[in-house]
Amino acid sequence: MRYLWWLVRSQWPRALRGSVVGTAWMIGLAVRPYLIARAIDDGLRTGDTRALLSWVAAIIGAGVVVAYLGIMRHRTMTFLREDATARSSQVVLRHIARLGAVLPRTVAAGEIATVAGTDISQASWALTMTGPGVGAVLAYTTAAVVLWSVDPLLAVFVLLGVPMVVLVVGPLLNRLQGVDTDYRHELGILTTRAGDIVAGLRVLAGVGGRDLFARRYAARSQSLLRRGYRVGSITSWVQALTAGIPALFLAAIVWLAARMAAEGQITVGEMVAVYGYAAVLSVPVWFLLEGGFMTVRGMVAARRIIAVLRIQPDAAADGPAPAGPAELYDPQSGLAVPTGRMIGVAAEDPADAIALADRLGRYVASEVTWGGLPIAGVDPAEVRARILVADHDSYLFPGTLRDVLRIRDGISDAQLAAAIRTASADDIVESLPGGLDAPIEGRGSNLSGGQRQRVRLAQHLLAEPDVLILVDPTSAVDSHTEARIADRLHEHRTGRTTVVLATSPLLLDRTDLVAFVRGGRVAAVGTHDELLETEPGYRALVARDAAEPETDAARGEATMTETMTTEARTAPAARR
Amino acid sequence: MKALPVADTATVRRSVAELARTEKRSLSLALALYVAAAVAGLAAPWLVGRIVDRVTAGATASDVDTYALVMAGCVLAQILLFRTAQNVGNKFGERANARLREDFVARTLRLPIAVVERAGTGDLATRSSVDVATVGNAVRQVVPIVLISAIQLLLVITAVFLLHPLLGLLILAGAPTSVAVARWYLRRAPQAYLAEGEASSELTESLTATAEGARTVEALRLTEERTREGTARIARQWTTRRATLALRSVFFPVVESGYALPAAAMLLAGGFFLSEGWVTLGAVVAATLYAQQSIEPIDHIMIFLEQAQRGVASLARVLGIGLVAPEPRGVASAPPGQRLTVRGARFRYAGGQDVLHGIDLEVRPGERLAIVGPSGAGKSTLARLLAGIDAPREGEVSLGGVPVTDLDPAERRRRIALVTQEHHVFIGTLRDNLAFSAPGATDDDMRGALAAVGADWYADLPDGLDTELGDGARALNPADAQQVALARLVLADPHTLILDEATAALDPTTARRTERSLGAVLQGRTVIAIAHRLYTAHDADRVAVLADGRISELGSHDELVRAGGAYAALWRSWHGDKA
Repeated sequence: MRYLWWLVRSQWPRALRGSVVGTAWMIGLAVRPYLIARAIDDGLRTGDTRALLSWVAAIIGAGVVVAYLGIMRHRTMTFLREDATARSSQVVLRHIARLGAVLPRTVAAGEIATVAGTDISQASWALTMTGPGVGAVLAYTTAAVVLWSVDPLLAVFVLLGVPMVVLVVGPLLNRLQGVDTDYRHELGILTTRAGDIVAGLRVLAGVGGRDLFARRYAARSQSLLRRGYRVGSITSWVQALTAGIPALFLAAIVWLAARMAAEGQITVGEMVAVYGYAAVLSVPVWFLLEGGFMTVRGMVAARRIIAVLRIQPDAAADGPAPAGPAELYDPQSGLAVPTGRMIGVAAEDPADAIALADRLGRYVASEVTWGGLPIAGVDPAEVRARILVADHDSYLFPGTLRDVLRIRDGISDAQLAAAIRTASADDIVESLPGGLDAPIEGRGSNLSGGQRQRVRLAQHLLAEPDVLILVDPTSAVDSHTEARIADRLHEHRTGRTTVVLATSPLLLDRTDLVAFVRGGRVAAVGTHDELLETEPGYRALVARDAAEPETDAARGEATMTETMTTEARTAPAARR
Repeated sequence: MKALPVADTATVRRSVAELARTEKRSLSLALALYVAAAVAGLAAPWLVGRIVDRVTAGATASDVDTYALVMAGCVLAQILLFRTAQNVGNKFGERANARLREDFVARTLRLPIAVVERAGTGDLATRSSVDVATVGNAVRQVVPIVLISAIQLLLVITAVFLLHPLLGLLILAGAPTSVAVARWYLRRAPQAYLAEGEASSELTESLTATAEGARTVEALRLTEERTREGTARIARQWTTRRATLALRSVFFPVVESGYALPAAAMLLAGGFFLSEGWVTLGAVVAATLYAQQSIEPIDHIMIFLEQAQRGVASLARVLGIGLVAPEPRGVASAPPGQRLTVRGARFRYAGGQDVLHGIDLEVRPGERLAIVGPSGAGKSTLARLLAGIDAPREGEVSLGGVPVTDLDPAERRRRIALVTQEHHVFIGTLRDNLAFSAPGATDDDMRGALAAVGADWYADLPDGLDTELGDGARALNPADAQQVALARLVLADPHTLILDEATAALDPTTARRTERSLGAVLQGRTVIAIAHRLYTAHDADRVAVLADGRISELGSHDELVRAGGAYAALWRSWHGDKA
């Protein structure tokens, strides 16, 4: 509620204008029945042509005025809602853009999609209450006064009757929405199924099973059809009653008014006017009822928006960072990352490598020190600015290839070209229509696995962090390309700290130093060649020497399978 | 990119006419009921008119009672008739909808995969979601309302016409301006609303992407960048919504101003007719009330015209899928042999240059053939020709002497399966995800297949084969998903497997694990493997090196390494040997 109030308050002049115009419009609606009544009484019944002409002119004039007021109301309210929508979107956008890695841990992306797609607009619709909502109350009061002047008894009957009819019909209409919502939900599932089939078409083309999917879809569609029949039989009643009950009420009013007219208590024109008022009066009452629904829904939506806005970024530390490039040290594994060099880390268990990267990048709590300072105490902004973990999950945002690569301002074309060259991504630029201006879809879904990996690498190089931690940067490219990248990477990062977590001999060979990690601890440090000589475990891990005794490799793989299995077993639990 | 076709007006009209024909009975019943209901609805103003006449003639209160009773009776009749009409109409709408969406899916499933790939799945995805939904909404809600409103309007005019023919003509006083402004509006509205819809979904997508990539936003410090991007989308949404508002700002007031005209015309003309003694006061009052009553149907038609128009546009896109010639049924009978032969095959993608320049290749049944070569050499294209997904422009790819593209697709897939790095886990249970590749498979077969590919995680699933996967249910990681794909193959049991970088998208360790699972699948089959990890080539019986759309080397691993050509260089470099 406070959130909705904030949305109103931040544009109160507009909300006020909405109320005024809304009131005027609703009162205006009641003017036509009145004018028609006068035309009948003064013009038609007496045969006074001049009076008739002026009343008809008034009817046409009033029609134009009401149309004008109507559109002004609609415009004001639309602006009010759109302003609120833009404001909410902006707040949510700013918040999620600065939350960072906390966000995926706290809410599902689907949740954000719902907030962005539905909740924001529902919260805005609740603001409709401010304009026509206020207007409805005032219009109703005005109608009461006018009716009273016609006949107090009729006034009481109409004024109490209309809300009662609305109160009876309102829940019916609500029920209609409820029934329909269920149906729409099912329909949504069916739509998702169709989308799923479209997405899997290539799989179906490769393995077969199209007929089965067509049948399965048809079966679901038929069950929705039956559901639709049931919904239809309820909704048709509701629709008929929502139209019928007010009509019955109108008939009752006509009957009352006609009796009064017959007894001479009111004029014929007034009788027609009462008929018109009763019809028009339902407008403000409807507005109130609908406004009520919208407010309730808006409050639910606002609550969900607030829930997203309440997510706090990671506990902020504001300690100083080391002044210049400094050594990173991870006590848990015993790994020391020397400054200004390129170190390879070959971990027997890939999970160790990923955990290590997370620790060094301060994505998890750890004892890691940076230039002797506990990294946990350093201002996170500083860490992000200077240490970059480049992993496989790194998200490619949609945009042109140039947009994707220019991750910060001030990147020159020469730098761009250099990074593309190092990542051996020249052929991607060449093969895409439009080169650097070619559109890249979200997650890079229009690139192949190898292309995605190289685009990411170029992007991460362009970030130019003090410490670049690369996780398996060449796992999806062919060996020619891998060799090229290995050569160029070292040159590109000369003088800066780079950690390469990989088991590829091509990459490891081009590093200054390699740490061999077994069981989560650094087991040996040396150059690639030294380790090949001295560490059989290392050799078994990295050498792509198929001629080596198969048994050795097989044994290594067997242990790997076990670790993978336990990982697979624990992973879902962790995900929950 | 070759876009999928959109049905032209004639096709749309034909399909609507056909639908009307098959549903002739329920459609005419619904129409008759709607008309009856609308007629009952016309009673009230007419009765008010009669009351006016009687009252002016000096009737007593009790005289009025009869009319009031009749009026109430009419309303009750209207309720019942309308309800029945709505029910019949609803059912018709539901059936039409179900048929439309089932046809769409069935036709989509029959599309040749090459057509889908050329058009991109994005277009198809939009048609399956947005367009099918828009048509559905139009059929369920817009069509009935427009239909009812049209009937009501027609009957109101008829009623006034019966009161006095000239009045009947005059009730159309507001029509010319309304029609003119409606035409003006409809020319502009679809474009504007489409842009509005696009802008909204782009904003949602942008916000969702920011949320999904939140860790990357933090890592690469893209906060400002994403905020700027999102702000631009918000601005665009605002602009597009202002554009539609601008259209409404012209449309609504003009139409609404016109609403006063029929009543004014009735009163004015009625006054004249009354003075001439052609009509009674009651008739004029009734005509005026009818004029007021005509506003609601006009209003509904105006509001829903735009949606109806959008519905038609979507229908054209939905029906467009039917214009693509479905994947041809096979013309040849099942081949006797298993020998896959390529002769002089050349191929180019639409509008491009030749990617393959005369490939000759004989795959021996039961052998393992590795195809290697730099990216862009045409490896994947060759795989597609071998699998029969594309036909060569020149030359021939045949299985046991029969061109693969002449085989019935289902028949062909039973013999040759193409496995790519693309894997898709369908929404549904694990069983659903396996069963479609082999319709007769039992649960034991499926468990066996999962075990064969090393999918031991299966044992930990809460509901075994009944565990729901995909879309909000349990998500499988890429390696597990790939294993599901492989288990499908075990069940499908083709004699020839073509692996196109089946493990390239996986990280190295997972890839190795998956390749091991693959071993079980490959057992006893002809295997053609495209891979950049040269383990595969080393273990293969023969290696074909593809460069620039030609096979440059062909032989066993050892032979090629000895030959010292391109393959030998590749092998050395893969090992990290310094040249």
